[in-house]
Amino acid sequence: MIEMRDITKHYGAVQALKGASITIPAGKITALLGSNGSGKSTLVKVLAGLVSPNSGSILINGQPVVIRSGNDAQARGISTAFQDLSLLPMMTVSDNLLLGNEPRTPFGMVDREKSRQIVKDLMDRFKIRCSPQDYVQSLPSSTQSMLEIAKAVHRNPRVLLLDEATAALHMDEITVLFDILRDLRDQGLSIVFVTHRMHEVFELCDEAVILRGGETVKSGPVTEFTLDDLVYYMTGQRMAHHAPGQDVSETSRQGQAVLEVKNLSLPPRVKDVSMTAHAGEIIGIGGLEGQGQSDFMRAILGAKHKTGGSIRFLGEEVAFRQPAQAVKAGMGLISGERNREAMFPDRTIAENIFAGNAAVGPRFRFLPKKFVRKFSEDAVKTYRIKIGSLKDAASTLSGGNQQKLVIARWIAVGPKLLLLDDPTKGVDIHSRLEIHQILRESAQKGMAVIISASDMDELLEIAQRVYVFYEGRVSGVLQGDSMTQENMVSLMMGFTNEKADGLLMKSKEAQA
Amino acid sequence: MNTLTQSVKKFRRTPAFTGFVLFTIALVMNILMQGINSGTPLAFFKPAFYGSMLMTNAPFILTTMAQSLLLIVGLFDISIGIQLALVNVICIMVPQELGLPIWAGWLAAMGANLLVSAAFGACSSLLRLPAMLVGYAFTFIIKGVNVSIMSKPQGKVPKEVYLPYQTLIGGVLPVALLVIVAIFLMWLLIKRRPLGKHLYAVGGNPRNAYAAGISPVKVQMQANLLKGFIVGVGGICLTLMNASGNPLQAEDYGLRSLIACILGGMGFGGWGSMACGVFGASFFVLIQNAVYYFFSYLSKVITGFAVSTYWQNLVSDVILLLGLLVTIITAREQRKTLKEGLFNQFKGGEARVSR
Ligand SMILES: Nc1ncnc2c1ncn2[C@@H]1O[C@H](COP(=O)(O)OP(=O)(O)OP(=O)(O)O)[C@@H](O)[C@H]1O
Ligand SMILES: [Mg+2]
Repeated sequence: MIEMRDITKHYGAVQALKGASITIPAGKITALLGSNGSGKSTLVKVLAGLVSPNSGSILINGQPVVIRSGNDAQARGISTAFQDLSLLPMMTVSDNLLLGNEPRTPFGMVDREKSRQIVKDLMDRFKIRCSPQDYVQSLPSSTQSMLEIAKAVHRNPRVLLLDEATAALHMDEITVLFDILRDLRDQGLSIVFVTHRMHEVFELCDEAVILRGGETVKSGPVTEFTLDDLVYYMTGQRMAHHAPGQDVSETSRQGQAVLEVKNLSLPPRVKDVSMTAHAGEIIGIGGLEGQGQSDFMRAILGAKHKTGGSIRFLGEEVAFRQPAQAVKAGMGLISGERNREAMFPDRTIAENIFAGNAAVGPRFRFLPKKFVRKFSEDAVKTYRIKIGSLKDAASTLSGGNQQKLVIARWIAVGPKLLLLDDPTKGVDIHSRLEIHQILRESAQKGMAVIISASDMDELLEIAQRVYVFYEGRVSGVLQGDSMTQENMVSLMMGFTNEKADGLLMKSKEAQA
Repeated sequence: MNTLTQSVKKFRRTPAFTGFVLFTIALVMNILMQGINSGTPLAFFKPAFYGSMLMTNAPFILTTMAQSLLLIVGLFDISIGIQLALVNVICIMVPQELGLPIWAGWLAAMGANLLVSAAFGACSSLLRLPAMLVGYAFTFIIKGVNVSIMSKPQGKVPKEVYLPYQTLIGGVLPVALLVIVAIFLMWLLIKRRPLGKHLYAVGGNPRNAYAAGISPVKVQMQANLLKGFIVGVGGICLTLMNASGNPLQAEDYGLRSLIACILGGMGFGGWGSMACGVFGASFFVLIQNAVYYFFSYLSKVITGFAVSTYWQNLVSDVILLLGLLVTIITAREQRKTLKEGLFNQFKGGEARVSR
């Protein structure tokens, strides 16, 4: 059992933790919950030895200990899957999994045969499908997340810390992971599980600890909480109930066709996909990991070049060669892979928010400082981004707040078509609802929105129509009454004709 | 056969592939030019020739190998060239001034250079000063030390000490080559130890290495000491080749070794290997040779044709620049294989889901 008592940590003026406490019992999965910027990652990093707290104590089985480094943490059997991953992109999968823990021969060499076996076992266990010799940088983000977890589990920890490990994972991967975690729990491990997906808390966790503003506000067995309770303790407000997707009714479909995609191909990942998006519509794109969703979006934006089919944007045939052209023409992309595609981590928060605006205007126009500041201040307020100062580097923001920043950037620009690729990855439930509301409002004002998400429930909640991808094709389109979890799951598995009873429409019919 | 194509494919993915391509091009050019110039097509393969070429260039190649080690952990040292001179100076002066045996001089030189390397490591990884600045400062400091130990070029190495280094074993195998191979084998051994993985991890991202329980400072320090050792060996080779001392030689090896590493396909931190250094340095050497033979051939066939070394350098520099272009092309090749990997993975996924 591990106890952390009254931990405080401040970064300059920002108080990340002010007296947070948590008890982590053995043989249980403890959910660590809180809104973006509430200090969850900081607390995890304190235990992992990466952040040294300003005050407070850590007790292992009642004995006070000091954890000064990653090495200390490891020696005490604590291992961590970090929110921003600790993988080395330029090293291979195998080297990453074994790093710092390589099996050795009696002569102190790395035991290659054993390594191969360990890596194979780990990858089989986590159902990671790639070659052990692949470089990590070439893998999709969900595979990287799985690797990060596998790496932590491989160290045979007594305490396993998972910081938003499921944020990038798809349904099938989560099933695999949960089975493994339950197994580990039954073996007596202490597991801390940070997540923003509330249903996971009820599905998996035994205990819950809730942080707000760097303080522990509530803890207890999960069975004692309802969803409303959790949100209440996280935000201090009772949740307003949205009727999902209903308030924006079918009428909005009469808007102008903003995007018409016909038979788009981008082998090997996208094959013959057609889709129409009208002004005022929110369209969902679903599917398991790597079924072509994100390539489809990037093909629309011109980041990847289609080999067949046509794209009409605002009534005109287009073939963008670069995203810059698409952005000029009125598109925007919000990516969940913020580090790779969306953030300038060393630039200030203000500059980051303004980046979208800067990209659409004339290149040499004069930008008064005040204007930039006003623009960013408004965005920070609207999206409740928790910041120290606008002048801080964007990398100091908590994971979810970074994501909100990226969203703020684009919605503020007001594109005609907004593409969102897993945009609410790592965003807390409250902000997620706010973002959904903002998307709905933007849609009502005439924006067409296409959103893909790894979380199926999110799609069912926000989208009016969902195109489900399977092996690069649209295996079916859900709308109205057919938008149920069961239908979605069967389409995700590729069962196109299984329960066709008028519920599932083939994509062609939907277009008609 | 299948395994052969597989290992060729695998090699194409490695960073050293770039350096290998450049090296091969330069080697072919050198063989051709020398053949044309001397009238005997296979002049390059005369032991006396490649023996002396390896001997003269062994210090540079070793220095580049040392530099590549630093680059792997995300550091680089431009004072590495003048460190060769330091080793050389001590090797000469300890026996000459103190009357100690030659091996004591070598030992002292090695010790001094390990000390310098440790100091460099302390400044760059412990104090986190920028490597460029530390290298620049160290160049001046070491130069000063060199000159205060030995004010002007001087000294001797007894014949029975340097002759063995300059001979060919069995008439075909240069000792200098053995030294290079030995150091390279040492690297291969290290690479297969956990330390080898840690070097790459620290160069790739110190924070993540730290999170995995590796101490970046310690690993960078170890890399510095290894580098110090290799430069020490290089300095001894230099001494045996010249059989005298010069406090201000080889300074340009600092920058040149860095460039050779980049040409060989290394990145700044966590990408590339010592093979990149070997290939890059050899490319450098072979191109300069080839250009030399080219011009001396011209001056033979065209009467009255004479070219200053400046022109020769210009031409070899242009070729080096072209080498950089090749680097870009082969890097694209590597990207393509990365993409292929992604494709395979997708196919694998397809098979899995449809089962
Ligand atoms: N290195 C840093 N410098 C300055 N401020 C920081 C730093 N790291 C974290 N903070 C601040 O500390 C607060 C808590 O951050 P933390 O990352 O722990 O939040 P979190 O609960 O993990 O949020 P999320 O759900 O968004 O990941 C945030 O306001 C953040 O801006
Ligand atoms: Mg976090």
